[in-house]
Amino acid sequence: MIHLKKNLFQSFVGAGSKPAPKRLFALILFGLFALSQSAFALDIPPSPKQYVADYANVLSDATEAQLNQTLDRFEKSDSTQIVAAIFSSLEGESLEDFTIRLAEAWKIGQKGKDNGVLFTVFIQDRKMRIDTGYGSEEFLTDLRAAEIIRNVIAPEFQQGNIDQGVLNGVNAMIATLRGEFKNVKKSKGSTSGKLVNIVFFIFIFFFVIPFIRAMRGKTIGVRHSGSRRYGSGFSSSRSSGGFSSGGFSGGGGSFGGGGASGGW
Amino acid sequence: MKKGLIALLAVVGIIGILVISIIGRYNGLVDLEENVNEKWAQVENVYQRRLDLIPNLVNTVKGYASHEKETLEAVVKARASASQITPEGLGNVLNNPQAFEKFQAAQSGLSSALSRLMVVVERYPELKANQNFLNLQSQLEGTENRIAVERMRFNESVREFNSTVRKFPTVMIAGLFGFQKKNLFEASEGAEKAPEVKF
Repeated sequence: MIHLKKNLFQSFVGAGSKPAPKRLFALILFGLFALSQSAFALDIPPSPKQYVADYANVLSDATEAQLNQTLDRFEKSDSTQIVAAIFSSLEGESLEDFTIRLAEAWKIGQKGKDNGVLFTVFIQDRKMRIDTGYGSEEFLTDLRAAEIIRNVIAPEFQQGNIDQGVLNGVNAMIATLRGEFKNVKKSKGSTSGKLVNIVFFIFIFFFVIPFIRAMRGKTIGVRHSGSRRYGSGFSSSRSSGGFSSGGFSGGGGSFGGGGASGGW
Repeated sequence: MKKGLIALLAVVGIIGILVISIIGRYNGLVDLEENVNEKWAQVENVYQRRLDLIPNLVNTVKGYASHEKETLEAVVKARASASQITPEGLGNVLNNPQAFEKFQAAQSGLSSALSRLMVVVERYPELKANQNFLNLQSQLEGTENRIAVERMRFNESVREFNSTVRKFPTVMIAGLFGFQKKNLFEASEGAEKAPEVKF
């Protein structure tokens, strides 16, 4: 994005621009960069492909695979989406503010049911949070979320057992939410109906999404110029997943700030 | 004859376009205002949730910290005045800047009374170990966070509404049909942040 802007600027100034405006431009650029850095120190990573997104690389491959499998099965049976994201640091962001933006961006939970749960851990800050969607907060209450953090996860984390803490925590959340939502099987439509769906999806994927991306890139792209990239984290979590079925894809759930925060 | 017809058609066409554009802008304003109302309902919801939590909290704290009468009374008083403001009605508060100010003042008064209580509580280790208190504390924290989120969303919806209302030519339609600029929550000290509750 920066390069693009630079080219744009150069075309404005003309090819034979003198060094002085260039330096000025560099200064402005630096200012913009610094601004975007201070405002969004930790950028929202793109939506993960699995239920566990371990950006800090603290979970063992076995744990990650197990969690992904458990959460995939849980979504298939109950439609509730639980996503666990582990970051190395908040990088100065406020915990609650960051996690709700993350939950909304990843659209965890089904649209209408809002039955998403986001579990975030920030290793260096020794902070964690459970965010509950509008629908799931009725069942996984703030109180229950706080209890899970306090009594289930924090004791394991205190002993350095990140793997066990995350596993136990996720299992406790599942136990609390189990049976509260049913995965309503879509009524089997006629084959022609399915065909329409497929055509519709193809349309969305090849036309609408690229269009939206292009539009977004134009309007708010600059803001993310100084952000970190998360590409490598995704490929690692995908390779360690080791199962082909399922995977996470946000259902459009909405969050209203419910849940609990804690530390260890 | 022919020229007259063309002129007539042109005038009718222009009026038609104008009417369609007015209808479109008017409906757009209605949608935006509905969105603001929806967000406001959520704000009221989460504030009500806080009001509901307080009696229990006060009772629990009373049992352990009976000599903090002043702080406790301040919370009870602030709660009383905040609950008096709420039933004024949705449209009323939104379209009346004074009522909105009052609402905001009452709620932030309650916020600061609560945060003072939470500071005082630090002096009572037995209270902080009490399961009931811990439960109420997590519920209060969750509610304060919800308040922050819903206020932010309300402000976003109002900003969108206000900027549309003030833009030309929508401003004329807004004036014609009585759409007014709405108040935002100010990022005030008290209510924006959850009371600092440390374990």
